[in-house]
Amino acid sequence: MGNFFPRWTNWLPLKIAIALVFVVVGVAMGVTYYFTPKYTRVGYMPTQPVPFSHKVHAGQLGLDCRFCHTFGERSSHSNVPNNQTCANCHGEGKGQIKIASPKLQPVRDAAKPDGKPIQWVKVHKLPDYAYFNHSAHLNRGLSCVNCHGRVDQMDVVYQHESQSMGWCLDCHREPEKNLRPLTETTNLAYTPASLSRESFYKDLLGKAKADEIAEVIKPGAKAAGLPELVKLAEEKFGKEVTQAEVGPQLKKHWQIAPPENCTACHR
Amino acid sequence: MKRIWNHPEEPKTGRRYWRSINELESREDFMKSLGTEFPNGDMLNDEERENSRRNFLKIMGASAGLMGLASCRRPIARLVPFTSSVEWAVPGKPLFYATSMPRAGGATPLVVTTHDGRPTHLTGNPVHPSVSGGVDAFAQASILDMYDPDRSREPLHSGRPATWGGMVQALTKVRHHYAENGGDGLALLVGGEVSPTLARIRADLAKRFPKAKFYRYEAASGSQTKVNEALLGAGVTPVVRLNKAARVFCLDADFLGLDPVSDDSVAEFTSTRNAEKPSEAEKMSRLYVLENRYTLTGAMADHRKAVSASALAAAAAALAAKLGVGEAPAALAGSVDPALKAWVETAAEDLLAHKGKAVVLAGSRTSEAIQALAAACNNALGAFGTVIETYKNTDDTLSYGSLKDLHAAMAAGQVKVLFSFTQSDPIFDAPTSWNLDKLASEKGVKVFHHGIRKCASARAASWHIPGSHFLESWGDVRTKDGTYGIVQPMIQPLYDGVSELDVCLSLLGKRELDRPDPKPIDPKAPPPPPPVDAAYEAVRETFAKIAGGLDEQKWNFTLRDGFLKDSTAKPASATFNAGGVAALLTNAKPAGALSATAPEVVLVPDSSLWDGRFANNGWLQEAPDPVTKLTWDNAALIGSKTFRELGLSEGTWVKITTPAGSLEIPAIEAPGHVSNSITIQLGYGQRKIGNVGSKVGFNGYGLRASTDEWVISSGVKVEKLGRKAHEFAITQEHNSMEGRAVYREGTHKDKENFAQVTGIDSHIPPEMTFYKGQFGVKSATNEAGFDYETKHQWGMTIDLSKCIGCTACLIACQSENNIPIVGKDQVRKGRVMHWIRMDRYFATAEVGTEKDHHTNKLPSVDDVHIEPTAEQLEDAQMVNQPVACQQCESAPCETVCPVNATVHTDDGLNAMAYNRCIGTRYCANNCPYTARRFNWFDYNKRPLDELYMGPLSTPDKTGMRESLKLQKNPNVTVRMRGVIEKCTYCVQRLEAAKINQKQTQRDSKNFRVATDSVKTACQQSCPAGAIEFGDLANKDSTVNKLKLSPRNYTVLKYLNTRPRTTYLARIRNINDKMPGAANIAAWSSKQF
Repeated sequence: MGNFFPRWTNWLPLKIAIALVFVVVGVAMGVTYYFTPKYTRVGYMPTQPVPFSHKVHAGQLGLDCRFCHTFGERSSHSNVPNNQTCANCHGEGKGQIKIASPKLQPVRDAAKPDGKPIQWVKVHKLPDYAYFNHSAHLNRGLSCVNCHGRVDQMDVVYQHESQSMGWCLDCHREPEKNLRPLTETTNLAYTPASLSRESFYKDLLGKAKADEIAEVIKPGAKAAGLPELVKLAEEKFGKEVTQAEVGPQLKKHWQIAPPENCTACHR
Repeated sequence: MKRIWNHPEEPKTGRRYWRSINELESREDFMKSLGTEFPNGDMLNDEERENSRRNFLKIMGASAGLMGLASCRRPIARLVPFTSSVEWAVPGKPLFYATSMPRAGGATPLVVTTHDGRPTHLTGNPVHPSVSGGVDAFAQASILDMYDPDRSREPLHSGRPATWGGMVQALTKVRHHYAENGGDGLALLVGGEVSPTLARIRADLAKRFPKAKFYRYEAASGSQTKVNEALLGAGVTPVVRLNKAARVFCLDADFLGLDPVSDDSVAEFTSTRNAEKPSEAEKMSRLYVLENRYTLTGAMADHRKAVSASALAAAAAALAAKLGVGEAPAALAGSVDPALKAWVETAAEDLLAHKGKAVVLAGSRTSEAIQALAAACNNALGAFGTVIETYKNTDDTLSYGSLKDLHAAMAAGQVKVLFSFTQSDPIFDAPTSWNLDKLASEKGVKVFHHGIRKCASARAASWHIPGSHFLESWGDVRTKDGTYGIVQPMIQPLYDGVSELDVCLSLLGKRELDRPDPKPIDPKAPPPPPPVDAAYEAVRETFAKIAGGLDEQKWNFTLRDGFLKDSTAKPASATFNAGGVAALLTNAKPAGALSATAPEVVLVPDSSLWDGRFANNGWLQEAPDPVTKLTWDNAALIGSKTFRELGLSEGTWVKITTPAGSLEIPAIEAPGHVSNSITIQLGYGQRKIGNVGSKVGFNGYGLRASTDEWVISSGVKVEKLGRKAHEFAITQEHNSMEGRAVYREGTHKDKENFAQVTGIDSHIPPEMTFYKGQFGVKSATNEAGFDYETKHQWGMTIDLSKCIGCTACLIACQSENNIPIVGKDQVRKGRVMHWIRMDRYFATAEVGTEKDHHTNKLPSVDDVHIEPTAEQLEDAQMVNQPVACQQCESAPCETVCPVNATVHTDDGLNAMAYNRCIGTRYCANNCPYTARRFNWFDYNKRPLDELYMGPLSTPDKTGMRESLKLQKNPNVTVRMRGVIEKCTYCVQRLEAAKINQKQTQRDSKNFRVATDSVKTACQQSCPAGAIEFGDLANKDSTVNKLKLSPRNYTVLKYLNTRPRTTYLARIRNINDKMPGAANIAAWSSKQF
């Protein structure tokens, strides 16, 4: 009996196996990258009916987010402003700003007595079975920037975060990484370093006893009052205020316990 | 060692609770159906099976094609804000408005939830002085009528679609004609609503057209007005305050169901059912009921006896005689059956012992004699001025004829033009022999019909004017006690309908019904003034008169609250005209002999359809009848003895002939129904009403010769037909609890803690574990327990002493939680989607001591095939128990879910993540309470007749009907096919409350929502106040206090599932002297 198979075929199964490993790993990597919200959603930047620039309004002019998105702190939904808000500045006989601009024609059309509203294109879209509530987040030390990025630097708004379930849960498990004082929620340029340590602890002393605050800074530590707290924090965290210092304090003393139950978002 | 737990054996003797006669007798097909979690779950008929096989590839091909297209691109979603701000509107937040639902003889005050301008849910108005905040099933479901896709959308001319222009032209012609001749030949037929503005406008119409005649017609109202007028005076309404009554005697008066005696009779009655423990039973009111069939009132009775409707007059006479009413005719009282006499007289002694606190109620559809005797009894008991308050309505000064008078006037040719406003449907529900339809065309009567349904009357009329729903129009109402309320619109009329008020105003020339084409608006011109709504102005004018001047602030407060403050009438001093009684008794005569083949026929309004006006309301059609558990049908209800004598089985057709007509209708056996009597619910059998209600059931109206004939006692013939049995969709055997002791009730003879030591509960080992899991309070020793410090722990109690079984909760749940209807076929297959099921059990006498009527022997200990006698079935007692997901702490469903779709939350809820569920149905199979439902089809999307067609259904029918989409609650997922769903404790409300607390507290620590501030939809709607819900971690919450009650018990406690929903056992206040008293609720001490 002769050899039906040439000698080189002895290595074939191994070669195939090695090739398969590469193919499988490649496919898996491809799927994880290209099929997940990180790829499919981030960067979505649709063209809007009016080329409204957040960079100009929120960045250069310094309008507060809530000037237009009025109900974010009161409702589940942070609304798109109605046309009246636009027309207050850009409408004829109102603010008179750029009233002849052809780009603002839809605003002027909508302001007419029989005008139809502008149909903005939704950028951030949650599935219908997920219920997100803006007020629950904005009133508890989260900022617009945590989910929407630096909108004040965007000419055209695009999706900055994946807003996938895993991404939500990351923060629900470790909220201290993102918490900030309530006065800073719409300050998109905020960094913990901009906080004054004195005033931060002073505000916090209204919520908790000095010893409780000291305990969070350094387990077992005690403090009699504000000066001791500031000193203790300086020893532990250095000169600059960091998120590692702010987050755990707010989490503990505002009793931030984000739900990780299904019913928190799915009803 | 592994411990195997078996359910305890069924009792061989003693009382037993059962849902259907099939269950009781353990018939074979019933026993077979027990094996599956959904009865008949896989029951496809051959055609369906064939169909599905043939279509499989087609469907797969089509859906694959669609999938490919849909997944190409991210669909563009739009955000569309208002052009200018709308007052109060905050996107994402509901708004609440107070209004009232006009009802015959009164009104139901409501609070309407609106999302983005869409009314989505109704609840009672808790601040209204006449009511406590619950509503009945009709009011709860009325919102669906507004969104009904089959509603009247355009004018009809002789049944064919016509234009508004044509209709308005015809109307204008009529108006001008009658303005000249003073209204000679003009007639208006109105309904029973009590509206001061309508009364005022009708008076204006009577002035403008002095010769016009007015008639009033409500198909389901009896002769009550006539009796009240004769005995109490014209315009006087008696309102019975049951909270002041210690003893109540009912003569076929279903005051808890279809015959309310005040604005809130259920709450007023259940407020007297508060006994904490058996020894306090005496503190409760005591209810005696005589009726021919079971009603909700009969089920709540402490003592009930089934009596044929034609013998009721004699019973009333015997009662009156015993109470010392001089007018009681001796001949009539003498004709009463001796056993019934003893029963009535023992009860009468009890009433006499509670003079001034006792009341006798007669149903509004009973004969004049019975009502007159009841009124005389009340006078003898001193009820007027104590239990019964009387109110005089002075708004309406016109006198109205009846439909009978209208018929006579039409026959005499006195009517040329008729405006029909009544919500009843005279062509359908008036006696067939009157032939109103033919009469109108013969005599040349031009009929203008106004209404929101395309009913038989609308199609028969020369012109039909599309009506607007009460949520779309301005109006006003008075409740029974005279409190003035405003009906305000929540939404523009969906289909351009106009209200009765609008039509009346147009007859006065104050409003144009024509709708001009929308003209393009000139942008330069100043905006036109807002159009004046004549109905709005008319209501304000009436308001000004009633409130003493048009004070804007007062008007706004009235709109906000839903009622005018301090407008409740002062009770009038009642003068009982005893002389009027004798005249009303002339027609009363002793009952004739009845037999199985010549029985009496009793016609009753239906608990789902009322007089037929809710026929196209899917929620009501699918809500099981509280007593028969029948959906999508009516039937001839026949007592067991007669049923067996006639040789019938469920669904056998019978032909019932009365002097006025005949009806072929299938029959069902009704426990608790008196023999030689047949009850038929009315309102069914409408031929063309819409997709839901057409050709459902059988029309009993044809059996009567006049509108006030509710009991037909002579000349009735019944014969059995050989046709194939009709298939009913009865839910009574669905989701069975297999005879386990789930319902507990006691009397003053029971021990204080009877509810907790009944059955196997008395010998559960202390360390019992069946399903291990997270339970109890988290502590150092119980690390896995629930956190009562920093979390809410939700819980619920249901008080069976108060629950009347009315199904209002079931419909409230449907409205709040976007629960679809599934249609008759699917109900038959056990695929009902209701999250709450209202279990109805009957209990019979001690079966073990009765001889078997086949073998004439006492049943042996091993004999489980217990057959009660027909007499025992007639005396069966009925109890109700609502069951939804019990939110077990150690939930059996969670341990079997392969994908973790059902898991526990920190709040103690058994959560259901729909988007995770893959539809294995293991959980439903493992739920001992059978509380889980499976979406077999896209019920929310597909029309009921094309469920099996998938993507091949008629293109214009695919997807949810536009108008029905508007009703959906945006805070609850609309579930798709292949997913299990169940009660969530209204988790959307709980989350909203918690978020609201965070929103107001911001950076503070106080996370706990205010005590008892969250209500579930069922709790909010419950007219009896039987459901309490709240935070178990909050020491002050009501639910926490109720859980400490000695009546508190857990269903299937020995499984150690530790449900968060528990029940409070029912207490009956029995009278030991009554015949049969020993047998009532006596099971507790004997079972197991």
